[in-house]
Amino acid sequence: MATPPESFSQRLVNWARVKSPWITVFNSGACNACDIEIIACLMPRFDIERFGILVKASPRHADILIITGHVTLKQASRLRRVWEQIPEPKYVIAMGACGASAGAFHGLYHIMDRVEDVVPVDVYAAGCPPRPDEIMNAVITCLNLLKEDLAHGGKEWRQHLSGTKIEPDEQKDERI
Amino acid sequence: MTSPLALDFVMEKMKEYGTVEQVRQNRIRITTTPGNVFNAIKDVLGPIGCDRLVTISTVDNGTTFGLIYNFIGPHRTVVSVAIEIPRENPEVMSMSGLLPPAGIYERQIHDLFGIVFLGHPGLKRIILNEDWPPDEFPLRKDWKKNPDTNYGGVKEGWS
Repeated sequence: MATPPESFSQRLVNWARVKSPWITVFNSGACNACDIEIIACLMPRFDIERFGILVKASPRHADILIITGHVTLKQASRLRRVWEQIPEPKYVIAMGACGASAGAFHGLYHIMDRVEDVVPVDVYAAGCPPRPDEIMNAVITCLNLLKEDLAHGGKEWRQHLSGTKIEPDEQKDERI
Repeated sequence: MTSPLALDFVMEKMKEYGTVEQVRQNRIRITTTPGNVFNAIKDVLGPIGCDRLVTISTVDNGTTFGLIYNFIGPHRTVVSVAIEIPRENPEVMSMSGLLPPAGIYERQIHDLFGIVFLGHPGLKRIILNEDWPPDEFPLRKDWKKNPDTNYGGVKEGWS
């Protein structure tokens, strides 16, 4: 399938998207350890702003949504509403063991066991909590996915991968 | 700094409400009945000198529900007022008029145990999701998750 050549403005927008992803963090029931690791990312030791990664308060300004923790039944509708406000193309990182499988809370009465029942997840960041460099790796994996999606003209080419999880380690880190 | 409460002092003031015992150092427990609990807590806040509600703990004993109101004050002694209410008719008087912070704890207990606090100004859901089935109380010992019940949270057509 031949895709039409991109206009200059579209190439400029794509370049800016890859160079400076804006992320928003949503705590859907975490114990705050994941949130503290994200704060550690922003602090001078890691300082993800030097790579152009900005944490924004509003989902309407964001490209990447980081979900920390398992999704409780009460937060499920709120998380869905936040996800729906993010403009396309949007990417979702489920953070920590709780994001992958509800962790120690798996099977409890107030938990959605899978984040994917609420919003589609692109990258899982492993760890309890993930270290700041693993969070950065997850964001960069999202950017590599974004580049591939731009080349393929959408997210549809990844549909056959549904069921298999895309791990952050599968992608080569090109920026750091 | 004031000295810790003496057991004899509390026993003299509270003996009309029930048994008073020193559970361990700096912890005094008053076991009373649901009918007396309002006046007992009034006295704990008055002559005993407690000024702060720490928490209301609830326990499912199988046949009864135990409610324990824990108070603390400048004397640094935790004073607990314990009552037991029957499981068939779980109703007890609300403390929210006497102690406004108790209202939030009572909403949470009502949510998770189904205990009705009479006279509470707004006994609504506080912690479970809004579409949780109204007659299920997840922290009761005999509660089991029913696979046929929709517990809310996620809607058809998502993802």
